[in-house]
Amino acid sequence: MSDSRRQVLDMLTAGQITVDEADRLIGAIEDGPAPAAATALVERPATAPRYLRVIANVAEDEETIKVNVRVPLQLLRAGVRLASIIPAQVQGEIDTALRQHGVPLDLSQIKPENLDELIDHLGDLTVDVDGEPNLKVQVFCE
Amino acid sequence: MIPLAAVIAVRPGGRSPGRRLWIPVPLLPVWLLALPFLVLALPIFFIACLAGRVKPFRALRVLWLLLCALRTTRVSFEHRATSVLVHIY
Repeated sequence: MSDSRRQVLDMLTAGQITVDEADRLIGAIEDGPAPAAATALVERPATAPRYLRVIANVAEDEETIKVNVRVPLQLLRAGVRLASIIPAQVQGEIDTALRQHGVPLDLSQIKPENLDELIDHLGDLTVDVDGEPNLKVQVFCE
Repeated sequence: MIPLAAVIAVRPGGRSPGRRLWIPVPLLPVWLLALPFLVLALPIFFIACLAGRVKPFRALRVLWLLLCALRTTRVSFEHRATSVLVHIY
C-alpha cells in the first residue's frame, strides 16, 4: 500500500474526511499524473504561417536604415497564378534566362496545386544574409 | 475582398521626433473614382492581352486575386528618427 493511500485511510479513520471524499482521493491517486505522451498530444498544434517577413538593416556611417516588410502569403499564391497566364513561348524564354543565371527553374512546373505544400515548407524557412558587412537581411515566415 | 483602407504613419525626424502622424487613406472612394477609367481601359486591356497571346479573363482574375491579396500588407522604413509605415487593411 502506498503512503498516499495509507494517509487517506488514516484521515478517514480519524473522521477528518467522509467515505465519498476518501473514495475520490484514492481514485485520484490511482489515476496518477498524466503521462508525458498524453500531455504532448494536448499541446496546441503549430499554426500555419500567414505572412512572409523581410527585415533588412543597412548600417551606413553609424546610422541604420531599417526596412520591415510583412507580406501575406496569399500574395505569394496569387503571384504563382500570375505565372500561369504567361504565354508558353515567353515562359520558355524566362526559363532559359533563369538557367543562364544559375537558376534551373521551370515556370510551367509551378502549379497552384503544389503551392500549399511549398507554403507549408516555407513555415520553417529562415534566411539570414550577412554577405555585406553593413547589410543584414532576415527572411522568415510567421 | 479588395483593400478598403490604408494607413500611412509618418514620424518626421528633426527637432521634435517621436510624434507620429497617422494618415488614414480610405481606398473605397479611390476604387470608385478609378472604376470609370478602368471600364474605359478594358477594351485596350483585352486587345493587349490578345496581342500578347494572354487569356484576358484569366489575366483579369489573377489581377483581382493580386489586389485582394494585398490586404494586411505592412511595410515600414526607418532612418534616424524618421519612419514611414504603410499598412493596408
